[in-house]
Amino acid sequence: MQSLTDRWFGVGHSVAPDSAKAGAEATAAALSGRTPKAVFVFCSVNHAVPALLDAVRAEAGPGVTVVGGSSLGEISSEAGATTDGVVVTALGGDGFDVRTRIAYVGGNGHREAGADVAHALDGMDRPHTALMMICEGMSGNPHEIVRGAYSVVGAAVPLVGGLAANDTGKRSFQFHDDRVVSGAVVGVAIGSDAPMGVGIAHGWHRVEPPMVITGSDQTRILELDGEPALDVLLRRRGMTEPAELFANNTRLQAIGLSRRSGEDIRIIVAADEADRSLIGLATMPQGAICWLMDSDHESLVAGATTSCEEAVAGLDGRPPIGVFTFDCGGRRGALGDEGIRAEAATITAALPGVPFGGPYTMGEIARIRGSLGTHALTLVTLALA
Amino acid sequence: MYTWSTHQLTEYFTAVNASADETAAISLAVERACEMVEAEAGAVVLGDRVHGAWGFGSDVPTKGILSIARAPGTLPVPALGDLYAVPSALGEAIEGALIVGRLDEPFTPEERQMLQGMAQVLGVALRSIRVLIDERTLRAEREREATERLILLEQAQTRQRLVETLLTIQRAISNRKPLPEILDAVTSGTAALLGGAPVALILAEGGRGRRLSVASTSGPEGYDFADPDSSHTEAREAMATAQVIVRAVDPHDPAWGTIVATPVRVTGEMAGALVAQLPGSVDQYSEQREQLAAFAQQVSLALTDARTVEAVREAHHDPVTGLPNRGLFLKIFNRVLASRAALTEPTSVLFIDLDRFKAVNDSLGHEAGDQLLAAVAGRIRACVRASDTTARLGGDEFAVLLHNSPVDAATAVGERVIETVKEPFNIAGRDIFIGASVGVAITRAAAANSDTLLSNADLAMYRAKKEGPGKVVVYEPHMHTEAINYLSLRTDLQRALQEHEFRLQYQPLVRLDTGETAGVEALIRWHNPARGLVSPVDFIPIAEESGLIVELGQWVLETSAAQVAAWRRTHPDLTLNVNVSGHQLVHPRFAANVTRALAVAGLPSGAVTLELTESVLMSDPDAAVASLASLRELGVQLSIDDFGTGYSSLAYLRELPVDELKIDRAFIARAELTGEDLALVRTIVELGHILGLRVVAEGIENAAQLEALRRLGCSYGQGYHLCRPSNPADIPQVLARRSLTAVHP
Repeated sequence: MQSLTDRWFGVGHSVAPDSAKAGAEATAAALSGRTPKAVFVFCSVNHAVPALLDAVRAEAGPGVTVVGGSSLGEISSEAGATTDGVVVTALGGDGFDVRTRIAYVGGNGHREAGADVAHALDGMDRPHTALMMICEGMSGNPHEIVRGAYSVVGAAVPLVGGLAANDTGKRSFQFHDDRVVSGAVVGVAIGSDAPMGVGIAHGWHRVEPPMVITGSDQTRILELDGEPALDVLLRRRGMTEPAELFANNTRLQAIGLSRRSGEDIRIIVAADEADRSLIGLATMPQGAICWLMDSDHESLVAGATTSCEEAVAGLDGRPPIGVFTFDCGGRRGALGDEGIRAEAATITAALPGVPFGGPYTMGEIARIRGSLGTHALTLVTLALA
Repeated sequence: MYTWSTHQLTEYFTAVNASADETAAISLAVERACEMVEAEAGAVVLGDRVHGAWGFGSDVPTKGILSIARAPGTLPVPALGDLYAVPSALGEAIEGALIVGRLDEPFTPEERQMLQGMAQVLGVALRSIRVLIDERTLRAEREREATERLILLEQAQTRQRLVETLLTIQRAISNRKPLPEILDAVTSGTAALLGGAPVALILAEGGRGRRLSVASTSGPEGYDFADPDSSHTEAREAMATAQVIVRAVDPHDPAWGTIVATPVRVTGEMAGALVAQLPGSVDQYSEQREQLAAFAQQVSLALTDARTVEAVREAHHDPVTGLPNRGLFLKIFNRVLASRAALTEPTSVLFIDLDRFKAVNDSLGHEAGDQLLAAVAGRIRACVRASDTTARLGGDEFAVLLHNSPVDAATAVGERVIETVKEPFNIAGRDIFIGASVGVAITRAAAANSDTLLSNADLAMYRAKKEGPGKVVVYEPHMHTEAINYLSLRTDLQRALQEHEFRLQYQPLVRLDTGETAGVEALIRWHNPARGLVSPVDFIPIAEESGLIVELGQWVLETSAAQVAAWRRTHPDLTLNVNVSGHQLVHPRFAANVTRALAVAGLPSGAVTLELTESVLMSDPDAAVASLASLRELGVQLSIDDFGTGYSSLAYLRELPVDELKIDRAFIARAELTGEDLALVRTIVELGHILGLRVVAEGIENAAQLEALRRLGCSYGQGYHLCRPSNPADIPQVLARRSLTAVHP
């Protein structure tokens, strides 16, 4: 089948220290002189974000949709993996429609915010649609945001996206129409005349034996097997000090909940020494059986290939014109600098000649099978034809 | 390798059961069920309506969903495609189904079984939410009715404020406030009644001179009549004439207002006057005059109470709570019964017994216990009308006498008492939680006897404690008969051990894969010459209440241990299961007694499994854990009897040193096990496997059940189909058989 020749997807990636310069460089590269329908910007919080967005706007021109969020790093077909840079993706040409909507989790709650932005799809009249969500990643309970969106759109529309991040502060940032906001969900409805495909994969494995979450409170695990959770984790990891668990040179602490097609992975980010609990980024269901999860470089890198192949397989045989990536910051932590270079090379090899780009996130959104849509430690890809 | 489904059922159960209302429970149940089986869409059908539709987007295919509720099939969804959809019934209590649909592949039998489990969990949650809502509605309805009655009453009785003011004064008196405070309540109440007018209470002092003094004032100051040195003309006149005096302050100038003085009596004697100054002219105040007169009448009664209360109290009151004691209560009760306006007027008595008071008294000391009793007395009194009588009968027992109260009203008061006592008490700087059980007796009979009524209420209370605690039970005549039966059974039971009326039977525990007898469970039987065979269901609770269970349990252990030790000479691997009551478990010498019994019998501790019920473990988990830990050190094994009927909490299974789970017969009782039964049994079996426990199915009564349990991987079983409980003499023959699953008993 023929691809629509005047449709395009572009990527730009800059590590220029000056924020305005970085924004302008990356956008100019992504557009290559073309007029976009929408521009997606992901950058480190270390940039002067308003100046960077002003530069993006200046390059993109008025009236063009600009969305994005703060990231833990960037990856693209142009420059591989970086930190403190900016990656810009853009799409344009015939047969694309992009509509956006923003809602705040602080206003009515996570679920309502998710449901609200799903209405970005209202009136969208294209045969293929997807909803991309760029969410506040540090307000807890991202599951509820995705459940809210799913309650509106249902299974007919794939959901993708990521949780915006900040590795130094308490809030992450979302970008919507030249504004830099926090605590928000940006919904981007993408309508296309050609199919879109979503891929997801991780590369983690269980460490036996399993444990029961005998006590939890929202994103906190109070007890594992009836014992203070922190004590169990320390023992299982052969450590004595909580600080060791989360030190920079230590592997990521992750647990997997038993699911039909494998594990639902949740990252543990901190411990509370006062009540000996463990703190994660998403809800920890009481009564669930879980495993400690470990990974090795090879299977993580192999997961990247799987994700890309899945996304491309969703295009009904058409060649991809570009791929949005949402890669977990945790994978980056597990792979190390050399590992992420290998990952970028693997994605390039899996998508020969296809531009791709996106942020390292606090968590990924991809609803393909079933209705569960939030993930951790995965690479989520959205391929466009 | 563990299957993913069993793990998720527990997670699901926890989530769904936390829902506050039906809509929330349904949404959560549908969403989580879909997520767990990776289904795209789901809904719940109740009757002919679809609830909690999930994953269909804006265009819910209602018709298609309703048709799936009856049978599994294909569910076409616009823009999505055809889903494989299955319904799972919500159970017997709720007519409806949980429906989930998946796009990529049909549900496996294992998934369908799990979905059935989930649907049943939802059914249970919905039923309990409905019961809760019904109760709430009923309570709201009752409260509304009570409010309406009160409004009618107030309309009939002139002024609401009058009643409220009087109640404030009554409360000040009944709370034994100092007299000046009571008098201030009188004047401020009067002032409020008269729209903030200045008011003074003038009382005559003792002695011949009868000097008048201002006992209390309220409202604006600086008025002559409230001046201690004034002549108190109007007050003196009101006292002398026993009439309400209404007079212009200045007969020549109505602008000075009107003075009203009403006489106040104490114990029948003229004691003073209540005086107020109103701003208008004399002819304006006929209504206020009436009010003030009525009010002064009540004040007189209140003051009489206050003055006489001390003297009476000393002889007839309980010093800890200040409430009437048993003697005074019965006197008041008799007086009320004798003076009923109409013989049909119902009189109710509440017998209130505190739950867990003894524990507080024992652990925090008598002083704290006394403080708690005084606080309880205050709360009980706040639940009843001022005209009702509250008493402390002794210990932690209270009684309330309600005048003219039909059964509904009396029950409502009982419920209020339970609610208020349930709230924490702050004693000695810490929050104390106790409870109460209430028995109610009511009479309309002409020749009612206070002693009998009180003892009837006591019987009802006893029943409430047994059914509850924290319940209200109304006395019914059969309780009396039952009480007598109970006493005679208890007497017989106490003799039975000396008279050697107890016997043991043994029921084999069979390995389901080979049919071999692995062990025997000792079962107690009581044959009384007069009563015949008495069921353990009837006598075990009595043995527990009377404490006889400790002795009886020890007898069972010693006898069965000796017996099994004898059988082990020819069947060295034979094990023994013995049931243990909660009373035995918390007995300080329990572990030592077990050790002794096994040593005397020569039975190794590893051959013995003690069976406990879930309720025993949950009622006093700390004591249970301590006792079980020391038994475990001896090498004795532990089993949870009736697993699945109670809390079945994963947490306690991990905390307690348990070796065996017995699946309650209730789950296996049906001749043919349904998918739901199987789902639950499978869950328990897998749970047992995950936690490394032996799983025993009880009550296997036919070959189909046996086969089903074998298939589910259950390792051990008991039941009539395998072997009935047998006399010791018959057991060697049973042991000689190679397989019990091949031969019918």
